[in-house]
Amino acid sequence: MIRRLYVIVAIVSFGFVFASLAIDYTEQQSLRPLAESYVRLVPQALGAPNVITGILLTYRGFDTLGEVAVLFMVAASVGLVLGAGRSPRSVSSDDRPEEARGSSEIVRTGAEILVPLISIFAAYIIMNGHLSAGGGFQGGAVIASGVLLMLLAYPQYQPSLEFLSITESAAGALFVLAGIAGLILAGGFLDNRILPLGQFGAFFSAGAIPLLSVLLGVKVGCELSVILEKFRP
Amino acid sequence: MMELIGSILVLLGAIFHFSAGLGMLRMPDAYTRMQAGTKASTLGNTLVLAGLAIYHPGWSLKLLIIIYFVLMTNPISSHALARAAYGIRIPMAGDTGIDALRDSRQKTGGGT
Amino acid sequence: MISSIVLITGLLLILIGLWGLLTHRNILRIIIGFSLMGTGTHIVTVAIGYVRNGTAPIIDRALDLSEAASRAVDPIPSALVVTAIVIGMAVTAVMLAFAIRLYDSKKTLSIDAFTESKW
Repeated sequence: MIRRLYVIVAIVSFGFVFASLAIDYTEQQSLRPLAESYVRLVPQALGAPNVITGILLTYRGFDTLGEVAVLFMVAASVGLVLGAGRSPRSVSSDDRPEEARGSSEIVRTGAEILVPLISIFAAYIIMNGHLSAGGGFQGGAVIASGVLLMLLAYPQYQPSLEFLSITESAAGALFVLAGIAGLILAGGFLDNRILPLGQFGAFFSAGAIPLLSVLLGVKVGCELSVILEKFRP
Repeated sequence: MMELIGSILVLLGAIFHFSAGLGMLRMPDAYTRMQAGTKASTLGNTLVLAGLAIYHPGWSLKLLIIIYFVLMTNPISSHALARAAYGIRIPMAGDTGIDALRDSRQKTGGGT
Repeated sequence: MISSIVLITGLLLILIGLWGLLTHRNILRIIIGFSLMGTGTHIVTVAIGYVRNGTAPIIDRALDLSEAASRAVDPIPSALVVTAIVIGMAVTAVMLAFAIRLYDSKKTLSIDAFTESKW
């Protein structure tokens, strides 16, 4: 009863704070100076039509490296919590009679059609990061959803964890090496002018941004697949 | 004129989505809730995207591909969820009369 | 007008997630409450970057190079939210891993069974 009262008081006070925020809100008329300089500089100096990917991979590239480190730490902690030392499911045996039954035919047929589509779509999103909406993070999440469908449809499917960890570490190391090459060959850490800028809007343009997108997509995809694999019984 | 038809279809799709949410709240057990959620929300998705395709005719091919993708994935995922719920013996509602999966499994002797 | 509707939707989602977080006793429903609060925060962050009559900050047929600085929407909140979504999914995975271990130890999903750390 008292707990219910505290909850209602908390929600109502948060509601008052949010209502005052929503009432005083007016839309911006024009961009702030920092945003305007980004919108002007990214197509001009970096040669990338997508301003958001240009910000994420060049001007705020160090933050992206920090996010990649956070994802790695999350994968390690899931592996620690769910890894070795789990009690061998000491439930009574008639609680899980279905584990020898396998997946049903509908899921298997659907997976045969959908997994190639999902893989092609993930590759398309990653490679078009600099031209239109997309990029490394989004493509990596789509790869992990394809792996999840494979895990559901074929219960004997075992993606080899050594291959995934080696690929993920190699992609992360290559990302940092590309950043250091930016220090040596061009303006600063993770500068994308180490590769030629090319023609604006072409497929191979915007310097090192497609390469960084591919490395980021591979790393995020492998990481999320490892996390999903740990959840199996 | 086309904008009016498109807007009416989007409104119908929103009504179906709302009824999906209402069904998920009011249904008695897990299996009926899954049925309400999947069927109504898939139809709501299809109607909203079709209304959008009529409103902007230039986008209609991409929206058709998205409708196909939603029609492929929503039923498969809810089927997998329902089979998993049956497998771990989630209890059915009190006045359930027929259990078709148990009957067919007894008939074929343990197959799917 | 448009961004006010989106902003109010995001703030309502945060309130609903907070209510669900504080009221339910089942661990999985508390995790869903966390996820709802995260989604609401992402929507609010994107909504406050709207410029009147603006469009997406991507240079293509809809937005020319010369008028980009005057008609584009603020790109910085969108860039922050792109990584925040993936990080939110990873943190939900950690919470679910903890829920599995808690269930293994006490065989129940209600958090009223775990009262050792209360005084």
